[in-house]
Amino acid sequence: MNAAITLWNKQMSKLSGEETFGLLIQPILWVVLFGVGMKGVMGSAVPGGDDFYIAFMAPGIVALSALGGAIAGGSVWLDERMRGIVKEYLVAPIPRLSILLGNTFTIVTKSLFQAIVIFVIGVLMGAQIANNPPGWVGGILLVAGYSIGFAGIALALASKTNDPGAYHAVIFLLNLPLLFLSNALYPLSSLPQWMQIGARINPTSYVVDGLRQLVLTNGNGLASGELLPLWQCAVAIILFATLGMWLAYVAFRSAIR
Amino acid sequence: MNDYAVEAKNLVKRFGDIDAVNNVSLMIPKNSIYALLGPNGAGKTTTISMLTTLIQPTQGSARVAGYDVLSQADKVRRNIGVTFQETVLDDALTGRQAMTYHGRLYRFSKAENEAKTAELLAMVELEDAADRAIKTYSGGMKRRLELARGLMTEPQVLFLDEPTLGLDPQNRTKIWEYIQDLKQRKGLTLLLTTHYMDEAEQLADCVGIIDAGCIIKEGSPKELIDQMGKDAITMIGYGNRERYLEQLGQLPFVQAVTTAGPITQLAVDAGNRRLAEVVTLANTEGFTIEDISVAKPSLADVFLKYTGRQLRDK
Repeated sequence: MNAAITLWNKQMSKLSGEETFGLLIQPILWVVLFGVGMKGVMGSAVPGGDDFYIAFMAPGIVALSALGGAIAGGSVWLDERMRGIVKEYLVAPIPRLSILLGNTFTIVTKSLFQAIVIFVIGVLMGAQIANNPPGWVGGILLVAGYSIGFAGIALALASKTNDPGAYHAVIFLLNLPLLFLSNALYPLSSLPQWMQIGARINPTSYVVDGLRQLVLTNGNGLASGELLPLWQCAVAIILFATLGMWLAYVAFRSAIR
Repeated sequence: MNDYAVEAKNLVKRFGDIDAVNNVSLMIPKNSIYALLGPNGAGKTTTISMLTTLIQPTQGSARVAGYDVLSQADKVRRNIGVTFQETVLDDALTGRQAMTYHGRLYRFSKAENEAKTAELLAMVELEDAADRAIKTYSGGMKRRLELARGLMTEPQVLFLDEPTLGLDPQNRTKIWEYIQDLKQRKGLTLLLTTHYMDEAEQLADCVGIIDAGCIIKEGSPKELIDQMGKDAITMIGYGNRERYLEQLGQLPFVQAVTTAGPITQLAVDAGNRRLAEVVTLANTEGFTIEDISVAKPSLADVFLKYTGRQLRDK
């Protein structure tokens, strides 16, 4: 654990002003530009109308940012492997697992930071936040779990390939359906049957609906019956996080000894 | 058993069909410098990677600092320092950060970590640059920083893979000084790889010439060079070389005749005195000498003799 924290600390200390700005500005642009731009069109599809669209889509942007963070974290790991920086860790008396954990912690930290920024922006733009601080903590845990799951997938891929181009190609293939084949930007009920099935096996749907219930409850215009039940959200995210870490662990074991 | 810092027995590493290392055995006494000398692709880095627990041998076993590299990898790691052939530094960090994060991986206390960092940065003369990002460092500075990082944990055995690769003469000499100092003052054992003949000759107590995954000759630089005779006559020419060489071999003062491509090399008892006879014989045997020189033999000549190839200083 000491080594994982050291590696996390090292990665975080490298966070430059530019990167922090990027982490901040990207979700802000999504919420402000996409949210405002789309609410006129999408608002009619969302129960409650266009005033509720910001609250409706903000959790989706949280998921999108977590995805982006995991992809970036995977590239950092790939780069460290390619440049041989990883050898410094490998000749040190530290558990191999701590390298995986250090990378995962870094990705999760950045995602949580972005999630909080997005909620703040959402509230500034008119979304209403639930008057339920323990629920916020639950929401944060859901985001963390989702982020851990994707961090695992990205790190596993980055352990298996030696080619940044191939890594990004595969990740890009995953990226689009994860966002669009979900309830992140439009309600489940508005989707055709086959997309609903896809959305139900997509972890993104669960983190998004979980956040709609725990963090931005009031004002998104959704009745509780239209959302995936909270317990399902929790179970799905726990399973997803476990799956991601397991994949990463297996890939790490074969990539580094 | 405890007199040796590195004991490797019959190490083999196969990558697919390729034998990168083929039956290497090494016994390196404590507090000595051993140089693995060989061309690129000879198996130097693979050997080091096995000894530093980065990869596992296909066959054979090794103990480093008294611990088995397979079953006691963690203990080996705790007792070694390593610098790699390529620069493995995180450009975005400062020199000081690179050192302290490294120390933290080894669970140093904060005070211990800071003291060690300051001491070692001073040793490699990087105090002034310590708080600058590594991306602003020159190649020589990066090498020195890596050396300092390798020493951070007070290793018993230090592995240096091509420590002076690509450095200018001034930086090379500096690194040599540090290496000698480490052995003398700190009692370290060092295993370094190099393809610079002069480096091995200058630094090493023992040199192993490695080629195509095997150690083909081992000994102290002096022993190896002494075996080459007192002087070496090196020449290039054309004509009936075969016959000429046969005749040369029969001269009593010629101890050995070696050829490598167009180059012929003779080990003789006294080069200056014998030069005239060698040239005269060439004339009578119909061999035209284009270029001839006499020199004290060096490790380069040893290498030429055992591998039949030249190891260029490039």
